[in-house]
Amino acid sequence: MHDLGPTNTGIAPLLTVDDLAVHYMTRFGQQVQAVKGVSFTLDEGKVFGIAGESGCGKSTLVNGVMGLFIPPLFYTRGSVIVDGEDITKYDKEKLRVEILGKKISMIPQGALNSLNPTRKVKKFATDVMKNHEPDLSKSEIYDRLEERFKAIGLDPRVLNMYPLELSGGMKQRVVIGISTLMNPHVVIADEPTSALDVSTQKSVIKMLLELMERKIFGSMIFITHELPLLYHVADSIAVMYDGKFVEVGDCDQIINRPAHEYSKQLMNAITKLSTSGQRHADGGNK
Amino acid sequence: MKQFKLLLKSPWFVFGAAMFLLCIVVGVIYPLVSHTDPFLRNGVPFDSPSGQHWLGTNGEGQDMFSRLLFGLRSSLFVGVAAGIFATFLGTFIGIVGGYKGGILDNALTLVTNLFMVIPSILVLILIANSIEKRSMLLVAFIIGATTWPWTARAVSAQTSSLKNREHVSLAKLNGYGIFSILFMQILPYIMSYVFMVFIIQMATGILEEAAISMMGLGPYDSVTLGQIINQSQKTEAFTNGNWWVFMPATLLITALQFSLYIVNTSMEGIFNPRLRKEE
Repeated sequence: MHDLGPTNTGIAPLLTVDDLAVHYMTRFGQQVQAVKGVSFTLDEGKVFGIAGESGCGKSTLVNGVMGLFIPPLFYTRGSVIVDGEDITKYDKEKLRVEILGKKISMIPQGALNSLNPTRKVKKFATDVMKNHEPDLSKSEIYDRLEERFKAIGLDPRVLNMYPLELSGGMKQRVVIGISTLMNPHVVIADEPTSALDVSTQKSVIKMLLELMERKIFGSMIFITHELPLLYHVADSIAVMYDGKFVEVGDCDQIINRPAHEYSKQLMNAITKLSTSGQRHADGGNK
Repeated sequence: MKQFKLLLKSPWFVFGAAMFLLCIVVGVIYPLVSHTDPFLRNGVPFDSPSGQHWLGTNGEGQDMFSRLLFGLRSSLFVGVAAGIFATFLGTFIGIVGGYKGGILDNALTLVTNLFMVIPSILVLILIANSIEKRSMLLVAFIIGATTWPWTARAVSAQTSSLKNREHVSLAKLNGYGIFSILFMQILPYIMSYVFMVFIIQMATGILEEAAISMMGLGPYDSVTLGQIINQSQKTEAFTNGNWWVFMPATLLITALQFSLYIVNTSMEGIFNPRLRKEE
C-alpha cells in the first residue's frame, strides 16, 4: 500500500483505494495515463479532501473510485475495496445495482444542471429509490422523501416542483438529497460548491457535515481546486498533481506547513488583497 | 400544458387540427351508422350525384359517398398505424444507437443509411407485390418498415448530444439502468420532436398507402382512398369525365395532407424556441 490518507482507527475502513491507476485511450490508440497509482483509506465519519489544479486527474480519479470505466476511460491497475470486495472486478450491472448510489454516491460538479428540467423533483427522486428498492410502495417512498428533504432544509413542497422553479442553492440541496437517499457509505463531492456564491457555499458545506454527523452517509471525499477551503471541511488532505498524490497529511500540516513545492504553489495561488491598497487609493484608474 | 395552450392560440394549428379531427370523426362514425354497403351494387353504373346517391355511383354501381367515407376510415387506420410503427421503430433505433455509441451505433447507422438510399417506394412495391393477402395492418407495417430511417437519424443525433448532459450523469451515478436513462431522462427531452415526427409519419403513411393502392397493391380486405382512385383508373372514369368517382377521394387525400402539414408547421413554431414568436 502506498501513501495513506486518513488514519486508520482499527475498524475496517469504509473505502480502501490501493495503487489505483486509470488511463484514457485516444482515437489514435495512444494511452494517456490520467491517474498514476493513487492509494488512500477512508474511515467512517471522516472527510478526505483532495485538492489540485484543473486537469490534474481529480474527476478521473472519482470515476475510477466509483468503478465507472466508460470508454475512453479504462482501468489500468489497482483495487477499490468496499465492504471487503474489489469493485473494479464488478461488471457494469453489478456495479449499478450494488454500488452506485447505494454504497458510493456522488454529488457531481455541475450540480446546478444535474436535474432534468422536464421532470419534477419527486419523479427523479422516486426513480432513484425504485432503482434500488423496487418493492417500496408509493407512500413509503414519499414518506422517506419528505423526511430527507426536511433533513436538508427544504420544504417538502419542493418535491412537486420542476428544477426551473428552484434557485441555485435549492437545486444543490436537492441534488445532495437525491445523492444521499440510499444512505451511502461514501459520498464523493466533486467541487460541489464551485458554482455557488460564498454564503451558499458555506451553508451547503455545513449541511453536508451535518448529514454525515447524523449518519445519513458514512464518510466523504471532498474534491476541490481551492486548497484553503478544505481546511474547514476535511480531516486530512491529499494534494494531487499530474495524476498522483504529491502530498498527504492532516489539514494543519498541508495548509500551514506544506512540504511539497506544488502544495506551496497551490497555497500561494490564492488571490489576496493588495497590501498597499494602491488601486483603491488611485480610484481604480491605475 | 403551457405549450398546448400556446398551440391553441395558433389559428393555423386550430384550423389544421379541426380539419383533421373532422375527418377522423366522420371517418369513424359514418361506417358505424351507415346502412349502405360500400361493396354492394346499389345503383346504375356511373350515375351522377343525386339525392339518392350524394356522390353518384362508380363503374360497378356502388354508392360513392359510402365508399369515400369507408375509404377515409381505412386510410386513416393505415396512416395512424404506419405512423405509430415508423415513429416507434425510428425512435427506438435512434435513441439506443445514439446513447450506446460505438460499434452498435455504427451498425445501426449503416442499416439506417442503407434504408435511406434505397427508394422506399420501390421496396414498398416489391414487398407488397410479394405478399398475396395484404391486410390493412400488414400494409401499415410495410409502410412503417420503410419510412423510419429519417426519424432514427434525427433522434440518434439528438440523443448523442443529450447523453452528455449533467442530469444523465447524475442518473447514472445513482444507479439508473440504461432503459431508465433512455425513457426517463432522454425521451422526455425529445418528446415534442417525436410527436411532430409522428404527425409527419402519419401523413406519409396515408400518402404511401394511396400510392401503392393506386398501383393495385393496397389492402385486399377493405376499400381505401387509393383504391377508389385505382378503380376509377380501371373503369376509365378519368377519360369519361366521371369526376365524382375520383375527385372527392383526391380532394380528401389532399385535405388530410394539408391539415397534417399545417398542424406540424404550427407545432414547430411553438415547440422550437427559436421560431416561437410569443411566450
